[in-house]
Amino acid sequence: MTLALRVEHLRKSYGAVAALDDVSFEVERGEVFALLGPNGAGKTTSIEILEGFIARDAGSVEVLGIDPGDRQHLRGLRDRIGVVLQELAVESFFTVRQVLERNAGFYPHPRDVEEVIDMVGLSEKSDAKVKRLSGGQQRRLDIGLGIVGNPELLFLDEPTTGLDPAARRTTWDLIRHLAAEGTTVLMSSHYMNEIEALAQRVAVLSHGRVAALGATATLGGRDRSEATIRFTLPSGVAASDLPITPWRVEGDTVEVRSDDELRALHALTSWALEGHIAVTGLSVARETLEDIYLALTRGDRAEIDEEPDDTKARTP
Amino acid sequence: MSTDVRPAPQRSRFSDLRLVAHQVKYEQLAFWLNRVGAVFTVGFSVVFLVMLGASAGSQKVQSLGDISLVSYYVPGFIAYGVMAAGFTTLSVTLVVRRETGLLKRLRLSPVPTWVLISSILISTAIITLVQALLLVVIGRYGYHVAFPSSWLALLVAVIVGILGFAAMGVAISAVVPNQESAGPVTSIVFFVLLFLAGLWFPLPPNSGLAKFSNYLPVRHLIIAMDHAFGVPRGATPWAWHDLLVVALWGAGATLVSLRRFRWAPRRV
Repeated sequence: MTLALRVEHLRKSYGAVAALDDVSFEVERGEVFALLGPNGAGKTTSIEILEGFIARDAGSVEVLGIDPGDRQHLRGLRDRIGVVLQELAVESFFTVRQVLERNAGFYPHPRDVEEVIDMVGLSEKSDAKVKRLSGGQQRRLDIGLGIVGNPELLFLDEPTTGLDPAARRTTWDLIRHLAAEGTTVLMSSHYMNEIEALAQRVAVLSHGRVAALGATATLGGRDRSEATIRFTLPSGVAASDLPITPWRVEGDTVEVRSDDELRALHALTSWALEGHIAVTGLSVARETLEDIYLALTRGDRAEIDEEPDDTKARTP
Repeated sequence: MSTDVRPAPQRSRFSDLRLVAHQVKYEQLAFWLNRVGAVFTVGFSVVFLVMLGASAGSQKVQSLGDISLVSYYVPGFIAYGVMAAGFTTLSVTLVVRRETGLLKRLRLSPVPTWVLISSILISTAIITLVQALLLVVIGRYGYHVAFPSSWLALLVAVIVGILGFAAMGVAISAVVPNQESAGPVTSIVFFVLLFLAGLWFPLPPNSGLAKFSNYLPVRHLIIAMDHAFGVPRGATPWAWHDLLVVALWGAGATLVSLRRFRWAPRRV
């Protein structure tokens, strides 16, 4: 199996603030890999180093077998990667086709422009001015610009931030389609459901460190964790009268944790049926990705809201 | 798992020159499609020349050897066009592209920086030459203003002007914080400089204003254009000293740009 990305002991500081503090992860070819973390955790800094946009302080990085810090091979690398930024970077007075044709001209082996227009679902808008497109359509054009060079690896920095739910779903479909074609995707996102829907593996960043790394479905052992049973305490019943031991009681909401939820439910429901006690608000839940994420990043705040600029001109 | 190996990209100097032509084409499209820049640069200078030409009538300027006032305006507005395209329009365009992420995206594409820079300069030159030609023709056939005494001197002054003022435009774009302030800041700087440099009326030589303007590049570009048209009467076409001042300002601005230029938008 070949690697698309290899990051080892990566470090980057802005002044005294460590934006990345010993970050390591690997991404296989064809994989959709997500970086998850609060603002300032180091997601964008990581992506910018991998794209060769900013320089790292220490550690080693390989992108499609090339060191993005090596200026000599940077152009060859950029022929093979696609980039979608957080910002909607589209020119408003061009038409959809004009923008895509312009950017296709940058690459040695671009995709067919009509094919890209079709893939991003803008066939009916191909001759419309970009400024006439809705936010969701502009984002899809933006992703079209990311893939028009026929990249082997696509960087998606928060691709659906600011989109409405319907536009988010069509963007997901597009990303799934690209992944199915074999494009490797490195994405960042704030949305847990987005990462659950798209990414096979995820790294949670917190304070510039990897707080957890693993398959999305099993991150933090959540597939094996205890289930939480919730219900409303029936009136006239004391918590100590319940057939199962509460983990905690908040107001009249009872929470029971159990690694054998079937047996616990059975005890509860048969007790209620036999005693004619009405149990309402019953639910069973396992830890969500969000629970794991919040536990891992507890106490994090956006500490590097404004990262000092390290992107000034360097003479080529 | 995808393991397909794609052919290694073939690139040559020639393909990069084609890339420059490709970029110039889209720079031109962007300029003419975004009518604000076209109106501000080309439209303004034509309208000003026609209006000032009509109001100047047969007025003469004594200090320039009794030439007609309109003959003073033609080279002046060619200089205006150079500065409007090279300085104001370019700096606003760069700030907007930077803050919307377009510059960052270009930086992350395989297009080399020198291709980006040269295509912007070539595109600016095309705009300015179109505008200069329009003004020369309007002056000649509308107001009997003589053709330049040296076309080559005019071309050189336009090129030096574009390089110098484009460098200043890039430098000011680097210090302007955001899109909202880009237009006002550069326009105010621009029009104050134009006023001080005597675009609207000839500065009396040896006046305090003329002496002050000698330290600034705008007046020197106007003088260089004047000379290409033989203004003041009998002037040699080549104003080397004035071209040198414009070039020096350009060199200084290039140093500022190299230190301050940013590709990425300011984070909020």
